[in-house]
Amino acid sequence: MGLLSVENVVKRYGALTAVDHVSFEAGPGRILGLLGPNGAGKTSTIRMIADITTPDEGRIQYDGRAVGRWSQERMGYLPEERGLYKKMKVGEQLLYLAELKGMSATAARENVKTWLMRFEAEGWSERRTEELSKGMQQKVQFIATVMHEPSLLILDEPFGGLDPINAELLREVIWNLRDDGRCILFASHRMEQVEQLCDDICLVARGRIVLQGPLRDIKRKYGRNTVILEFDGDASFADDLQTAGFVKVLYRSHKRVELKLLNGTSAKGVLERAMSRLNDIHRFELVEPPLHEIFVDVVGKDR
Amino acid sequence: MTSKIWTVLKSEFGRRVRSKWFIIMTLAGPVFLIGLMVVPSFVGYLASQSTARTIAVVDGTDVLSQQFVDASNERFQFVPGTEGSGAARSAVEEGTLDGFLVLPAGLLQGEGSATYYSVEGGGLTLEMELQNVLDTVVDDFRLAESNAPREIIELLRSKPELHLLRITEEGEQADSTAASSLIGVIMGFFMYGAMFIYGAYVMHGVMEEKQSRVLEIIVSSVRPFELLMGKVLGIGAMGLLQMGAWAGILLLLTMSAGGIISLFLDPADLNLPAGAGQEELLAAADFALPSFQPSLFIWFLLFFFGGYLLYASLLAAVGSAVEHQQDAQALMLPLTALIIIPILFITVIVESPNTTLSVVLSLIPFFSPILMIVRIAVTSVPFWQVLASFLLLCGTFVGAVWVSSRIYRVGILMYGKRPTIKDLVRWFAYQ
Repeated sequence: MGLLSVENVVKRYGALTAVDHVSFEAGPGRILGLLGPNGAGKTSTIRMIADITTPDEGRIQYDGRAVGRWSQERMGYLPEERGLYKKMKVGEQLLYLAELKGMSATAARENVKTWLMRFEAEGWSERRTEELSKGMQQKVQFIATVMHEPSLLILDEPFGGLDPINAELLREVIWNLRDDGRCILFASHRMEQVEQLCDDICLVARGRIVLQGPLRDIKRKYGRNTVILEFDGDASFADDLQTAGFVKVLYRSHKRVELKLLNGTSAKGVLERAMSRLNDIHRFELVEPPLHEIFVDVVGKDR
Repeated sequence: MTSKIWTVLKSEFGRRVRSKWFIIMTLAGPVFLIGLMVVPSFVGYLASQSTARTIAVVDGTDVLSQQFVDASNERFQFVPGTEGSGAARSAVEEGTLDGFLVLPAGLLQGEGSATYYSVEGGGLTLEMELQNVLDTVVDDFRLAESNAPREIIELLRSKPELHLLRITEEGEQADSTAASSLIGVIMGFFMYGAMFIYGAYVMHGVMEEKQSRVLEIIVSSVRPFELLMGKVLGIGAMGLLQMGAWAGILLLLTMSAGGIISLFLDPADLNLPAGAGQEELLAAADFALPSFQPSLFIWFLLFFFGGYLLYASLLAAVGSAVEHQQDAQALMLPLTALIIIPILFITVIVESPNTTLSVVLSLIPFFSPILMIVRIAVTSVPFWQVLASFLLLCGTFVGAVWVSSRIYRVGILMYGKRPTIKDLVRWFAYQ
């Protein structure tokens, strides 16, 4: 199980520099979250790692060797824009994709069976893809990504189109794969998913890395500057605090607010204000900022 | 060939050959084709058999009308037109007569000509048949008048025949110009259809993969070039299987073709005794079934292979660039033009296969699969010309595959805006 290392990679399309001197590493047994706004260069970077395109500058190595067809066989790639052959049967389709990854037909058949069971999809083998629902197709696509037991996994928005139950199932599977020592690259713009899944993050904007490191360290660096309040009563006190310049409202609903402390405002001060206006407070917590806030902060500054 | 190309080829071939549509087309194709050719002539034959025309003979010579009545056969029923041409005309207009024949008084002396009047007009067959009857009647009468001896009459009856022979490497062979022109045209069109239809299969296959977004998954396992070649070769193999099956079925049918054709020939028309054998009939009709030249079929396969690779790879590049059928039209236009131009020249080549124009046209790679095959079918083409044409074609398809694969590798990842030919050129130039 090796290390993926991206070193000073540049990719240009005509006048546009899609990826601009990007470097990061992803290790086995960890999940690296690659996040960034649309058009930031995530897909361009991933395609170079998958050896679909080649970098103009810099190099990409896996397990100490430059990526190439050998690494393609050890890699599973779930692209964001993905689909299957509509008219092909699920079983035939998975066998074909496995064979393209260099698996023997016998081994492929065995693995396909195991994975279909794992995803509660026994009996789909003989069904045409077009007869499956979108969520079912997502599962088949995920199976296509992992059935050849790749040591490097690239998952681009893997939860798209899944209901909460299946999303939970998939999350379990991804964690199992991580614990099994696979190196996982997870690209998404859904911050709560990244926060939940990833060990490390790498934030890209306009082709450059603007923030990277272990998720825990990054959040610690930002410090506990955010207050979460759950309550019964009128949330208008939060607006007043914001107007007065003490806090910034990150999230507001009729019984929950998230407030970022500004200008040295103390958590205690916020609590006192809240108590004076609310009947009942169920929860008061001083936390690190949500990833979403860090994202907006960093990308906004960069712009 | 790398194992990945082989994997793609197997899958493309397997899943297409197992489709219902393929099986139906393979089995029904020849039946449909033969039906298309046979039914009209059969209907014509039945129509010509059913009616004997009733024709009044308005005889200015006063001696021939009985001879005509005696010459009546299943095609013509002659009656004496004793009431003159006016009465005959009204009878024709009323429909009681099909037509009337006016013989001028000086006909036997070679003055004036016989005239046939009818409402419906003649038609080539009718004219020929009527001329035959007229010739025979007049000849017989003149011979009888001059008391010609029996031997002389017999001598005159036995008309000399003309045979056309072709000098070929295998020796002299019956010239079958009519049949080989027909074969040339059919093979030319067949080549056109095969290249175009199987090429379009490739294009739609690529578009389907792009539309369904399965491509990005595939190219993370296979090089775009391997995917392209596997697909082109797999569909090409399907095409060869289909055409092989058609050829087999058609061969079986042609082995009995002599029998079918002779059904439509009447011994009497060919001055043969009734009950003449099938071979005599065909020979007399000057419709020799051309001997099968194995070289024609081998070249057909080779030129199909080259032409198909050329057009299919270029069509694949078009397919990789677009998502929707309608966007493909504009990009296909240059290719459609290239494949249609040779069709326009097929007749020129059939009529004069050895002119400089024909030779040059059959050497141009984009045209040669169709035009060289037509030439090989209708004439003896010097070996060096065929070989040169084939080598040029091979060089061109290698170049086309290279150009296409460069466009293809970029095109398959491009979504969104409709590409122009300029975009394709830019993609080709990408590193």
